[in-house]
Amino acid sequence: MGKDERKLSVYIDRLNAEKKPPQFDASDNEELADLMDTVRLVRSLKRPEIPEEGYEKRLAENIASRLKAQKPVRIRKRKWQAGFAAIAAVMILALMLYVFIPFGNMNIVSAMEKAYGEVRAYHGILLIQEISQNGESFTQARVEVWRDKEGRYYVKQIEGYQSGLVTVNNGVFKWQLRPGERKAYLFSAFPDPYSYAFELGNEIDNVRNAIETKFLGKEIINGRETDILEVIPEGGSPYKLWIDKETRLPLQKQTAMQNALQYKVSYIEINFEDLIPEKILEYSLPEGYVEVDNDHEQIVNNMEEAFELAGFYPDIPEEIEGYNLVSISVDTAQKAVKLNYVSQDSTKRITLMEKMPEGEFVAASSAITGKIGGIDAEIQSPVSDGAGILGTGPYAGMTGMNSIRWQNENYEYAIVGNVSIDEIAEIVGCFKLGDVEIPKNGTDLFKPQVEVPVDMEVEENEQKSVDAGHSPWRLDHEFVAQVFASLMVSPEGIVGDYPITGDQLTTIYNTGTEAIVEISGEVTVVRRVYLKRLVRQDPTGIWTVVGYDPV
Amino acid sequence: MMEGKRLKKTKEEGEFKAIEKLCAQTWEPLYRYVYFRVQNREEAEDITQETYLKAIDYLKKGNLPVKSDLAFLKKVSLNLLRDKWRKGKRQGVFLSIDDIKFQETAAEDSALTNEQREIITDALSKLGNDQRLVIELRIIKGYSVAETGKIMKRTSGAVRILQYRALKALNGILRKEL
Repeated sequence: MGKDERKLSVYIDRLNAEKKPPQFDASDNEELADLMDTVRLVRSLKRPEIPEEGYEKRLAENIASRLKAQKPVRIRKRKWQAGFAAIAAVMILALMLYVFIPFGNMNIVSAMEKAYGEVRAYHGILLIQEISQNGESFTQARVEVWRDKEGRYYVKQIEGYQSGLVTVNNGVFKWQLRPGERKAYLFSAFPDPYSYAFELGNEIDNVRNAIETKFLGKEIINGRETDILEVIPEGGSPYKLWIDKETRLPLQKQTAMQNALQYKVSYIEINFEDLIPEKILEYSLPEGYVEVDNDHEQIVNNMEEAFELAGFYPDIPEEIEGYNLVSISVDTAQKAVKLNYVSQDSTKRITLMEKMPEGEFVAASSAITGKIGGIDAEIQSPVSDGAGILGTGPYAGMTGMNSIRWQNENYEYAIVGNVSIDEIAEIVGCFKLGDVEIPKNGTDLFKPQVEVPVDMEVEENEQKSVDAGHSPWRLDHEFVAQVFASLMVSPEGIVGDYPITGDQLTTIYNTGTEAIVEISGEVTVVRRVYLKRLVRQDPTGIWTVVGYDPV
Repeated sequence: MMEGKRLKKTKEEGEFKAIEKLCAQTWEPLYRYVYFRVQNREEAEDITQETYLKAIDYLKKGNLPVKSDLAFLKKVSLNLLRDKWRKGKRQGVFLSIDDIKFQETAAEDSALTNEQREIITDALSKLGNDQRLVIELRIIKGYSVAETGKIMKRTSGAVRILQYRALKALNGILRKEL
């Protein structure tokens, strides 16, 4: 991985932490500068982070003290003149702004945004009513809603003509269970054009973007005191919004009368929670339902059709002894071809996957690294990380599934199945790519010539710091090795570029908790760096150098 | 002597109250305007403060604002941002919120218009699923590389590579669109 990818990642991390990004000389790297601009552009889809309470006061105090400090101190007369001029200048500005700027809705929005900012998740029951011109009301739907700060939601219609309809977006993908059709429709999670009516965040956005808001009065709804606003949106009809006085969040909305009908949407119950129960955000196909996933995988009849969809003819072994090819499918999003085989006794299934390579091969951090004809291969037993082409299916985490994944200049390949790694290695042999080497275990390999003493207290504190969003590079074993090896070259500290570049690093062994990185080139004084995840043995654990082999 | 001190104190209090009033009335739309461009709170707070100081300094010199509304403060803040970008040796063509066709409308606004939002979401929808997801997780939702890797079942290194490519693809699409 190159420096630009890291720089861009650090840039995103800084903006996510609401901190000023590091100084960057754009003239040196126009492409990276463009991508940083694109990051800001995408981020502008989000609501701005409002300063903490008291900012307004602090701002005024800072400005006053800075103005005071700017005044000349030697000549009393000038000092007074400066003082008068400053007062006059501020007065002019304040007076003019007071007269001409409509501040009304900014305060309301600010109060609502602040209140909404404190909500981690909410659970409510929405009542949607249709009201006729003569005042008769009819319940159109009653909907159960869960929503969290990260935009994940679960919506179930509990009354109405689509009763039982469930729509969920868990942030990774979106699905809809339609009981009438007995089908589960799968969609991508983002962009999500529509979630549900009267989503609190959207309502606050609408008020902020409105041309005008007017205070109409007060009313008690479902035992709660509310302020009623008339909101005049840009290019739409005015509507009424009831804001809960206690929570400062919208509680009810009523559209304008159109075609002799208007709609009223109210939260008849709303509770603020810490999180949405995980269970309802987990996808599982109900019994008797058919999954409709047009976005992803499509079964094809032959290699011609696969070529049409994927854009290449897959490289397939002539025969896999003991197995029959039962189907071919194409993941249209990833342009990956999958050949599905079943053993002759129907007890074992394997899938051979291929796609055009998207870049350099990166093995999953939890995998063992082996070799196929001298090139790196990722070996997962069981599959725990859907890296690369393995991400095209729900293989990771499934019981008894093993995989080998590798890449040459033409294709990225993976073979996954409910068979042993040795059997998969035999199938890899059918490609005639050379010897398959699988390290049996790392105990023979993981023997550093020089041990590096470790202070666990320091490491535990470092882990806490990384958990809080600092030094994310500690989660990347190659980066940790690069920093270590660079500091061995320049013990006084690194100024400018690292003396050891990313291209010089090769991971030769990695179980996810132990790794060995080999360093090539003449600059280095270290040939191998040995690392362990000492504090936490999962992908959120930091890597620590525990030893090295000198050159 | 006592009179002089009291007068000075009164005038300083008057100045502070005027500043307080000015900030109360304007800080939020100004801050939003700046934040929209810098996309981080720390810098937005700093530039908002600098804007007031510059604006007051300008008026102290006997100048009057060209327009009698918030546009004056926004213009001052935009000049500060441009100075900052110039200092960063930013040259040539680049895609920024101010330099694409959003300029005319966004310069008066602190949020994306529906059209602008549509352009960006349309461009995002043209990306592959993984590229779109990595942008959503990393930028929209603000997950760390490790968290994103966990969700997407990829290594941290792979997430960084994927996000770089995704942003490059998005940049290419936006350039064509605009």
